[in-house]
Amino acid sequence: MSLKISRLDLNLRRRSLMAYVVGMALYTLVIVALYPQFRHDTSLNNLTKGGSTAAALFGITGSLTSPGGWLNANLWANFFPLVILLMAVGYGAAAIAGQDEDGLLCLLSTLPVRRRSLVFQKAAAMVAQAALLTFAVMLCVLVGKSFQVSIDPWHVVSASVAIFLMGMDFGLIAMAVGSATGKRGATLGAVTCLAAASYLVSSLAPVVTWLKPVRYASLFFWSVGNDQIVSGASPADLVVLVAVCLAALYGVVLFFRKLDLH
Amino acid sequence: MSFAIETKQLSKSYGPVQAVSELSLTVEPGQVFGFLGPNGAGKSTTIRMLMALQRASSGEARVLGLDPQRDDVELHRRVSYLPGDLELFARMTGRHHTDVFAQLKGGADAAFIKELAERFQVVMDRPARELSKGNRQKIGLVMAFMTKPELLILDEPTTGLDPLMQHEFERLLRETVRDGRTVFLSSHDLDEVQRVTDRIAIIKQGRMVAVGIVDDLAKTLPRQIEARFARPVSRTAFESLPGVKVTAMDGTRVALEITGDIAPVIRAIAAHEPVDVLSRHANLEELFLNTYRPSVAEEVK
Repeated sequence: MSLKISRLDLNLRRRSLMAYVVGMALYTLVIVALYPQFRHDTSLNNLTKGGSTAAALFGITGSLTSPGGWLNANLWANFFPLVILLMAVGYGAAAIAGQDEDGLLCLLSTLPVRRRSLVFQKAAAMVAQAALLTFAVMLCVLVGKSFQVSIDPWHVVSASVAIFLMGMDFGLIAMAVGSATGKRGATLGAVTCLAAASYLVSSLAPVVTWLKPVRYASLFFWSVGNDQIVSGASPADLVVLVAVCLAALYGVVLFFRKLDLH
Repeated sequence: MSFAIETKQLSKSYGPVQAVSELSLTVEPGQVFGFLGPNGAGKSTTIRMLMALQRASSGEARVLGLDPQRDDVELHRRVSYLPGDLELFARMTGRHHTDVFAQLKGGADAAFIKELAERFQVVMDRPARELSKGNRQKIGLVMAFMTKPELLILDEPTTGLDPLMQHEFERLLRETVRDGRTVFLSSHDLDEVQRVTDRIAIIKQGRMVAVGIVDDLAKTLPRQIEARFARPVSRTAFESLPGVKVTAMDGTRVALEITGDIAPVIRAIAAHEPVDVLSRHANLEELFLNTYRPSVAEEVK
């Protein structure tokens, strides 16, 4: 498969991609470097004692002074997913619906390329962006060993893959909604609501009894809601996230084939 | 005979809105075909169906013998399209656009791209966002012509171009058809279309109202004359002339619509000390209002 359209999209977004990657890497390094200052601050753990609802709202569980707990509270449970979602959902909404609204998609859709191939190339561009961001964060966490942030490298890698896949899931869902509606604003609104609901369900499930069964419907649960940075992402986590990716990609192909372009 | 474009009962609706209704037309190879109509008439929708950007609600279309939905890749390889309201990637320069799209289209002759850029005096090295509408349009024209396609489908191609560039565009169209290639030109600039096309079709509210050879259709159009006089003139001085309709009268100014011989009108104007006279063909709006009533919704030739 040619990746010329992927390269074009990546080239058009190179500045914002670099900003995301450099910003996120710097933030991660700061979090990692600050850990030695707080690792003995037991007062931090009062926040999560007894399953605090306030802590749950921020997706925080367990000890905040352990390396995994520190990363979970400051990066994994909130900021990292948020940034990867911003990037993936933003691109997902812009790649088809946004470019169609901007009058640019017709230039690409009248090239000798099947619509299905156009979708795959745009998905590939999303993979490249999310992978670069994930890799930067993962690398910065792995160098955290020098700052006493000692976590099993396999857990870091598998948890990073889980977040990457969750970004892809929401990004591809955004692309599918964009292909179905042709409207960037509506797509952003709908998928942001979905992601927010998913986050709330996953983070509040430990303290709200009736939400517990619903947590399986939350993509956050499968990527960060089960302390994946502490214990690693399980094969089941990854299978669910990959399955949603494939289903969403199928949806994009299906809807885009029927979309009337401008 | 195989047509460059052929549609049969082609229709497109968006919910309750019928954008194109049972449109049947044929475009012969090696000619410039003008596709006319005011904004919202259904021109762009028809073109989007021909280019496989939109699916027809019913009816059939064939472009170079290909089904736009089934053979879209082959169609896009052989046909170039310039969209109406062309948008370019804001940060990319003209050169970047032509390089990237030539590559994506499967290649184009660099010398020909250079020649086109020079002919249209295109600013190639500044980002599209810094260019005027006319300059962006010129980049679009280079992108459309650079691969020397068998068929060009151009939607309002001269929007924003100055008269010199419009003239250059018309020369390029003539060269293109001399090569045996075909141009399907959508426009609402009737003068331009009259100069460059072999045949035209006119649609209104999604329906074909006329199709034929330009000169034949033009003969049915009333000529418009506006005259200003040194002193007020009487309406009756013109109303009595054969084939003349007074469309406006304002003291020293008179507007006439002429369907008959123009010589008696000129003599009548000259007899009343004119200070200014403007004569022109009907514009598209007047064409629709005055000429293309249902009675002429048939092929002239």
